[in-house]
Amino acid sequence: MTSTSKTDVFRAGYLPGLRDDEVHWKRLQLGAPNDPLTVEVPELSTDQIKTLASRVRLASQAHLKSWPVSDIVRTIDTAIARLLNAQDPYRQALERLLPRATGFDATMVQLGLNSYLQTFRALQLQRFVTEDFANPKLLDEFQARPKGGWSKAIGPDLLVHVWAGNVPALPLWSFVSGLLVKAGAIGKISSSEPIFASLFARLLVEVEPRWADCFAVVWWQGGDKDVERCVFAEADVVLAYGGNTALRGMQDRMPVTARFLPHGHKLSFGMVSNTALSVFRGQATAHAAALDVARYDQQGCYSPHEFYVQRGGQMQPLEFAQHLASELAALATKFARRTLTLEEAASVGGWREHHEFESLRQARHRVLGDASQAFAVVYADTPQPLQPGPLNRCVLVVAVDSLQDVIPLIEPQRAYLQTVGLAAAPEELLALGDALGQAGVTRICALGAMTSPEAGWHHDGRFSLLDLVRMVDIDQSAELAAERFTGYEL
Amino acid sequence: MANGSTTSEDITIELLAFIARPAVSDEEFNALALRIFTRQFALNLPYQRFCQLRGKTPRLVKSWRDIPAVPIDAFKEFTLSCIPAEECERVFMTSGTTRGEVKGRHHHPSLAVYDASMLRHFSEHVMQGDVRLPMGILFPTETLMPNSSLAHYLGLAIQHFGAADSAYYLDQNGLRTAALCDALQKAQQSNQPFALLGASYSFVHLLDELQSRGLSFVLPKGSRILDTGGFKGQSRDIPMDDFYTQLSATFGVDRRQCINMYGMTELSTQFYDAGNRSVPSIKRGPHWMRSRLLDPMTGQEVARGERGVLAHTDLANFNSVTTILTEDVGIATDDGFVLLGRAQGAEAKGCSLAVEDFLKAARA
Repeated sequence: MTSTSKTDVFRAGYLPGLRDDEVHWKRLQLGAPNDPLTVEVPELSTDQIKTLASRVRLASQAHLKSWPVSDIVRTIDTAIARLLNAQDPYRQALERLLPRATGFDATMVQLGLNSYLQTFRALQLQRFVTEDFANPKLLDEFQARPKGGWSKAIGPDLLVHVWAGNVPALPLWSFVSGLLVKAGAIGKISSSEPIFASLFARLLVEVEPRWADCFAVVWWQGGDKDVERCVFAEADVVLAYGGNTALRGMQDRMPVTARFLPHGHKLSFGMVSNTALSVFRGQATAHAAALDVARYDQQGCYSPHEFYVQRGGQMQPLEFAQHLASELAALATKFARRTLTLEEAASVGGWREHHEFESLRQARHRVLGDASQAFAVVYADTPQPLQPGPLNRCVLVVAVDSLQDVIPLIEPQRAYLQTVGLAAAPEELLALGDALGQAGVTRICALGAMTSPEAGWHHDGRFSLLDLVRMVDIDQSAELAAERFTGYEL
Repeated sequence: MANGSTTSEDITIELLAFIARPAVSDEEFNALALRIFTRQFALNLPYQRFCQLRGKTPRLVKSWRDIPAVPIDAFKEFTLSCIPAEECERVFMTSGTTRGEVKGRHHHPSLAVYDASMLRHFSEHVMQGDVRLPMGILFPTETLMPNSSLAHYLGLAIQHFGAADSAYYLDQNGLRTAALCDALQKAQQSNQPFALLGASYSFVHLLDELQSRGLSFVLPKGSRILDTGGFKGQSRDIPMDDFYTQLSATFGVDRRQCINMYGMTELSTQFYDAGNRSVPSIKRGPHWMRSRLLDPMTGQEVARGERGVLAHTDLANFNSVTTILTEDVGIATDDGFVLLGRAQGAEAKGCSLAVEDFLKAARA
C-alpha cells in the first residue's frame, strides 16, 4: 500500500500497467523542517501518459459504463467505510501521513477526516446523485421523457482532474463525482498533498479489483506545457482546482472540443446578526466562528477571512471579537497551528502591522492578542470592504449597523465570492440569502459549518455531476420513424 | 540623557565624532542608541504611539535590541521626524515601486551625518586606499532626481572620490552608451583604473546594449564596479550569478571587484560586500550600524543560522527612527549577513486566496 513507509519515503500515484522501474520518480520534500517527509512522485513521459489514457478509457468502458449507479455507490461506500475504521491500514496510513505532509495538527486532521468521510456514505451518495438527476436511472439506460422520446446521461470516457492541496483529502469530491458518472479518470495530485488520492485509488482497487485500470493518479509539474497539452488532448472533460493564474495557463492548453471546469480563487466570510448575540448565545456563536477560522488554518476556499457583526445586540461587535479571540486562543492549544514558512509569517506580520498603524489613527480600531499567539483578531469599528487576509487564523471583525450594509462592501469581490457563514434569525435568512446571492455568493451555511459542505452542494454554484455528463437524446421522431420499419407495419 | 531638549545640532556633533572613531565598544553603541531612542520617543508622536502599542518605552528599553523595529511601510503612513518636516533640509523618497504611488519619506534635518556616514564607509569598501578614480555613473544626477537618496549618494561619490574626467552616463534621454564606450576605451588605452557605478537595472540595460553592439572591454587592473538596488521590475530579472558573470566578462573586471551596495531610503548608512566572486555575498555595515534577523510574525530574533527578516539599527538615522524592519530575508554570518531576497507573501496553495495572489490577480 504505502511502498516504503519504514524509510520515510512515500511513493505517490497510482499507475495501472506501468511498473515502478519504468517510471522516473521525482523526490519532493514535504512537512516541517523538524519532521520532513519525502514523497516520490511520478514524472511520466507523454507516451506513458497516452498509454495510460487509452488503458483507462478502455477499462472504464468495460467496468464502469456498464455498471448500474447503485453498484458504484455500494463499492465507494465499502471503501469509505474502511477509511472510517480506525483499525484499517489505509486509515492509519492517512492519519500518519496527512499531518506530516501538510503540517496540520494531527487531531484536527483526524476529526476533519471523519466528518468529511461521513458525507460520502451510501445514503449521502444516493442523495448526491438525486441532487443532479431526479431520475438516477438516466445514468444507467435511456429513460422515456414526458414530452416524448428518450434520454440518457453519459459520463466522459476520460475525465482529467487537476487537484489542489490546500486542504487534506480535497480530491475526494471530484474523484467520487467522476466515478458516479462512470468516467474513466486521470487525476493529477498536488505537490503539497499527494497522499490522499494515491491511497484512495489503491484502496478502491483493493475493494473492487475490476476497477484496477479505470483510473490513474499521476503528477506533473504544474504549468508543464507539453504534458498538459498532451493530457488535455486526451480528455473529454478537465476539472481543475487552483489559482487563477495556473487555471488561465491550463485553459490556454485546452483543445476547444473538450470541456474545461475551473475552480479558481475564492473568498468567503461570516455574518452575525444581533439576534445571535444575546448573552446566552453570543459565546456559542463566537465558538462556532472560531472553529471555522481554525479548521485547516483558513486554507480552504470556504474559510472565512472576515466577520461582519451587527451592532445593537446584547453582545456588541467588539465583545464578539474579544470572545472570538479567546476561543481562538483555546483552539490554538487544542489544535496547534502548523509551522508557518518565513513568507507566510511575513504576510501575517505585515497584516498585523497594517492594522497596528490603523489603530494609531483610529482609537476604535483594535488588534487583539499579541504577536506571539498563533492567531490574530482585528476589530474595525468602521465599514471595511471585504479583503483577503493572510490566512493562518487571522481574521477581521467588522462592526455594521445592519447586515444589509454588508452587500456594497462585498460587491467588488463578486467574481471571488463563495461561502457565507451566517448566524441570523429565520425571518432574515431568505432576504439576506437573496441579497447575497445577487452579490455573487454561492453558498450560505451555519457558522461552524463553513468548512464542511454538504453532500451534493453546488460547488462554486455549479452542478457536481451534471456538468460532467453529456445528454444523449433519442427524439420522438426517431421513435415514430422506427415504428415504420417493423415487420408488422402494414 | 538625550531627551526632548537635545537639539538636532547636538546629536549631529556627537554622531560625527562617533562615526569618525576607528571602532566602538558594544557598550558605547548601546549607550548612544538608547539616547537617540529616548529623544525620538519624546519628539515623534506617531513613533511614541507605535512604541506604546508594542509595550516599549524608554524606561523598559535597556538594550538597542529592545528598540521596536519600525516596518518600512510606516515611512509611507506617518511622518517620522523629531523636528517639523518643513524644517528639514532634505526629504528622500522611496521609488514607490512596491505599492503604487504612495512613497516612503525619510526626513533629514541636515545631511551632515548622512554624508559623513557615506564617505567613511565608501572610502573603506569601494575606494580601498585610492584617493580618486575616474568614474562613470549609470544613474541620473541629483539635480534630475532631488528626492532620490541614491542620486545623492552617487553625487557624493563623484564629488569626493571622482577624478576630473568622471561623468554621468544616464539622463532624461536614457543611457549615453557611445560616450560611455569612449570613456571605457580611453581608460583601457591609458591603463588607468576606472570605476563604474550605478543601479543594478541600469547595468542590465547597458549589458544588453553592449551585447547587441558586440562590444566588450578589458578595463585596467584596479578597476571596479558598484551596483545597487536589484532589478525592481525595471529590467529583465536575471539570476545574480549570471549578472556578475556577464559584468565581469563585459568589462574585464574580476568578480572580486564587482561590489554590491545594499542600501535603502529609510536608512542613512549603506552595506557593502567584498565583491561577488560567489553569490550570495556577505554584506557588512560599519560600527554605527547593527543588524538582526527577526521572525516577521513575532518580532523575536531567529535562531542562529536560520532565515529571518532583516532589522537594522542605524545610529545615523538620528532624526527618523534608529531601528527599521525591512522586507528583506537574510541569514546571519559571523561579521554580517547574506541577503536572500524579498519576503514575498506566500502563494496560497490551491483555491484559497491569500493577499499576494489577490494583488497579483488584481494587477493582471
